[in-house]
Amino acid sequence: MFKKVQKWFDERIELTETINEFNGERIPRSGGWAYTFGSLLAFLFTVQVATGIFLLFYYVPYFPVARDATYFIKHNVLFGSLLLGIHLWGAFTMVFILVVHMARVYFSGAYKKPRELQWVIGMALFSFVIVLGLTGYMLIGNENSWWTINVLSNVAAHTPFLGGFIRILARGGTETSTLAMQHIFAVHVWLLPIAVILLIPTHLFLIRKTGHQGMAMEYNKSKLPDDNIDKWKHPDATVPFFPDQFYKDMIVAIVVFVVVYLLAIFFVPEVGPVYNPLALHFAPEADWYFLANEELLKFFPGHGLIIFATFLVPIIGFVILFALPFIDRGHERSPFKRPAATILGIFFLLLIVYLTLMGGEPKAPATI
Amino acid sequence: MAKSSEESPSRRTFMMVVIGLLTAIVGVGLAIPIVGEILTPLFKKRDIVWAKLGKVSDLENMQPLTPTFIPVYFKVKQGWSVNTLPRQVIVVKDVAGKLYFFSNQCTHLGCPLHWIAERQKFMCPCHGGMFNAMGKVVGGPPPRPLFVWVHKVENGTVFIQNKFLDNPKERGI
Ligand code: HEM
Ligand code: FES
Repeated sequence: MFKKVQKWFDERIELTETINEFNGERIPRSGGWAYTFGSLLAFLFTVQVATGIFLLFYYVPYFPVARDATYFIKHNVLFGSLLLGIHLWGAFTMVFILVVHMARVYFSGAYKKPRELQWVIGMALFSFVIVLGLTGYMLIGNENSWWTINVLSNVAAHTPFLGGFIRILARGGTETSTLAMQHIFAVHVWLLPIAVILLIPTHLFLIRKTGHQGMAMEYNKSKLPDDNIDKWKHPDATVPFFPDQFYKDMIVAIVVFVVVYLLAIFFVPEVGPVYNPLALHFAPEADWYFLANEELLKFFPGHGLIIFATFLVPIIGFVILFALPFIDRGHERSPFKRPAATILGIFFLLLIVYLTLMGGEPKAPATI
Repeated sequence: MAKSSEESPSRRTFMMVVIGLLTAIVGVGLAIPIVGEILTPLFKKRDIVWAKLGKVSDLENMQPLTPTFIPVYFKVKQGWSVNTLPRQVIVVKDVAGKLYFFSNQCTHLGCPLHWIAERQKFMCPCHGGMFNAMGKVVGGPPPRPLFVWVHKVENGTVFIQNKFLDNPKERGI
C-alpha cells in the first residue's frame, strides 16, 4: 500500500529522489553536537510561530485592554498559562541559543571565505529576533511594557540628527499610546516573523551551496594550505544529514523543549498590573538581554556622553559584528591558530555576561 | 511569430529591460502608500491641551521644599481615538513661596522618579539619576534639570499643558 502511494508520487514529481537529495546533505563528521544549535534555533522559532498564532485567538493590541487580555490568557484560558509560558521561555531560550550558535560559528571561523554571506544573513536574523523579543515584551501591556516603549523610544531619540523623527515613527505618533501599540503589534506579528521565515531558508540555502564548514578539526588530514578555500569545502569525513545529524538535532531539540516546557509549567511570571503612568514607586525593568546595554547607560552621564551608550557603542559594536567576515580576513580556522580573535571573543562574551549581571542588580531607589 | 530570446540577443535585452521596468513600476507603486503610511506620524501635529491641576490657594499651603505629586489628565487626540493620558505633576514650593511644576519623568531617558524623603532627593530607578527638590541634577546620567510643565493660572486655578518649557527637542512626555 505504502509502496503504491510512493510510486504514485514518484511517477509524477520524483518525490523520493527529492527527499533523498534534501536529506542527503553531507555534514562534517566529528563535531555533530556542536552543529545542532542552528537547527535548534529553527525548531525554537517554529515553536514561537505555533504558540504565537494561537495567542492571537485572545490577544488585543490596545493599551488598556492588552494587559487584561494577557491576564485572561494566563488565568482563564484552558492551558493558557502553558501556551503563554512556552512562548515566553521559548523566546528567552532563543535569544540565549542565538549567542551560543554565534559563538560556535565565531570560534570555528566558519564565517570566513566562502561563507561570509551566511554570517551576514545570520546577523540579520539576530537583529530581527532581538527586536521580536523586545516588541513582545511591549505587547504584554503591563507597566514594564509602557515604560519600555517610552524609554526605548527616548533612547532612539538620541540618534544624531534623525533622533526626533525616529522616536515619532517608532511611537507611531507623539505619545506612547494607542498607535504605538498597534504598530508594535504589526511589527511583532507580521513584519518580523515573515522576514525571519524568509531569511532562515536563505541562510540554509547558502549553507548548502558552500557546504557546511564545521570546526577546524574536521580538516586535520587535508594537505591543502589554509588559504586555499578548497580546503574548507572538503572535510576529512562526512555523514548524511538524515539520519546522522538529524538524530542529534532531535535529541538536543527535545531536551531544550522539555526544559522550556517545565519552565512554562512552573515559572510563568505574573502579568503585573496594567500600566499606570501615575505610579509613584514603580521601577521599570528591561528584558534580561537588554541589561548589558542598560548597565552601559550608567557609565556615560551628562549631555555629551549619553549618546555613547544609547547610540555609538551599540551601533559600532553591531556594525563590527555585522561586517566581521570582511574585517577578519585571515585564513586560519582553528581558534588556537588565531589567538587574537579567540581572546577577543572570550573577552567580549565575559564582558556581556558581566554587564548583564551588573544590570540585573536591584536598583537602589526601588528597594527603599 | 516573434523571435525567442535564444534566437535574438537584442530581443533578450529588450525583454529583460521590460521585466525590469515592470518590476520597478510595481515596486514604486507599492512603496508610495507604504512609505506614506509609515511617515504619517511626522506630519501630525501634537495635540496640545490644557488640564486642570488645582487651586493656587491649596498649593500655597504646602510645606516649602516638600514635593507633592498631583495627577493631571490630558484628553488628547491620537489617531482615530481620544485618549486620556494621566501624568504626574510634581508641585514644589521654594523657600520664597514660588511654585514650580515639574514632570516626574527623568530627563535621562524618561523613567518615573521616586521622591525619597529621607534623603531629600528624587531618585531614578533606571540608571541612578538623582535630582534635588528644586529639580537640579545631583548625580547620575541625566543631562539637564527636571522638565517644567507649561502652566498658567486662571481665576485662582492652575492649568497644565501637555508640553514642557525649554524643551526644543520635545524629549520626555
Ligand atoms: C534564527 C536564527 C538562526 C537559524 C535558524 C540558523 C540556522 C542555522 C543552521 C541550521 C545552520 C547549520 C547547522 C549549524 O552549524 O548549526 C547554521 C549555520 C551557520 N549559521 Fe546560523 N542560524 C541562525 C542565526 C545565525 C546567526 C545569528 C549567525 C551569525 C551572526 C549565523 C551564522 C551561521 C554561519 C556562518 C553558519 C555556517 C556554519 C558552518 O558552515 O560551519 N546564524 N545556521
Ligand atoms: S532614565 Fe533616569 S537615570 Fe536613566
